[in-house]
Amino acid sequence: MTPIRLIVPGTLRYRALAVRVVAEAARLVSGSKPGDPENPQAHDVRDPFDTAVVSAFMEIFNNIAVHAYGRASGGAIELAITPRERELVIEIKDHGNPFDIEGVAPVPSDLDESSLPEGGMGIHIAKTMLDEMTYEPGPPNLWRLCKRMPSVRTVGRS
Amino acid sequence: MPTPFDVQRNDRDVMLAIRGSLDINSAPPLAEEIDRIVAGKPAKVTVDLAGLELIDSSGVAALVKLYKGVRGVGGTMQITGARDQPLAIFKLLRMDKVFNL
Repeated sequence: MTPIRLIVPGTLRYRALAVRVVAEAARLVSGSKPGDPENPQAHDVRDPFDTAVVSAFMEIFNNIAVHAYGRASGGAIELAITPRERELVIEIKDHGNPFDIEGVAPVPSDLDESSLPEGGMGIHIAKTMLDEMTYEPGPPNLWRLCKRMPSVRTVGRS
Repeated sequence: MPTPFDVQRNDRDVMLAIRGSLDINSAPPLAEEIDRIVAGKPAKVTVDLAGLELIDSSGVAALVKLYKGVRGVGGTMQITGARDQPLAIFKLLRMDKVFNL
């Protein structure tokens, strides 16, 4: 299948646009429908598949704009989005500084009031929401995100 | 575009309603409001997320900052109305129990 391609400036100003494209691509796989046709500004991310894809993508876009490009303009984020029958693959390229993904501290698994984190949650969210997430430092740096629809269980006769 | 949020104060009780998307773009202006809320030493802060459609880690961080700030001045904070993607994020981060969602 031919990927959906989108190139946006690598700044947070273009984040919402990219998120909307990814949300629509997720809908192509999940089959979910926008909730309110009278309100085109609504995000309508309700389906679990759409939720996972959009949540992960938002974090990776943030990461690139903030860490790879340092919130500066001039760089680009290149998306290749491939919707398949039961999975969505998003490849995200940037030409900014490579990210030390191994240096990301894990989010505590048992949170209480004293351990509530105020940062460092983005990669954890993305990784946990997806079935696969890989990162290859560049240039170009390449993120590959994959989310699959849950398998359909069938009840057979014995 | 900043996240639309409304603040209502009634004595030492504060109601904060957040709508739309709370994210890396919209959290900074909310953080300024959070500083004002905490500076008022509220007894109780209720955060209404019924109108919140999307949240990212920056948005979560803003709410954690509010929670810690309110607790730090002896107040309590309650989140109500969380649904869909925001609720999924709180559950993934295991914050649903801390926030009693």
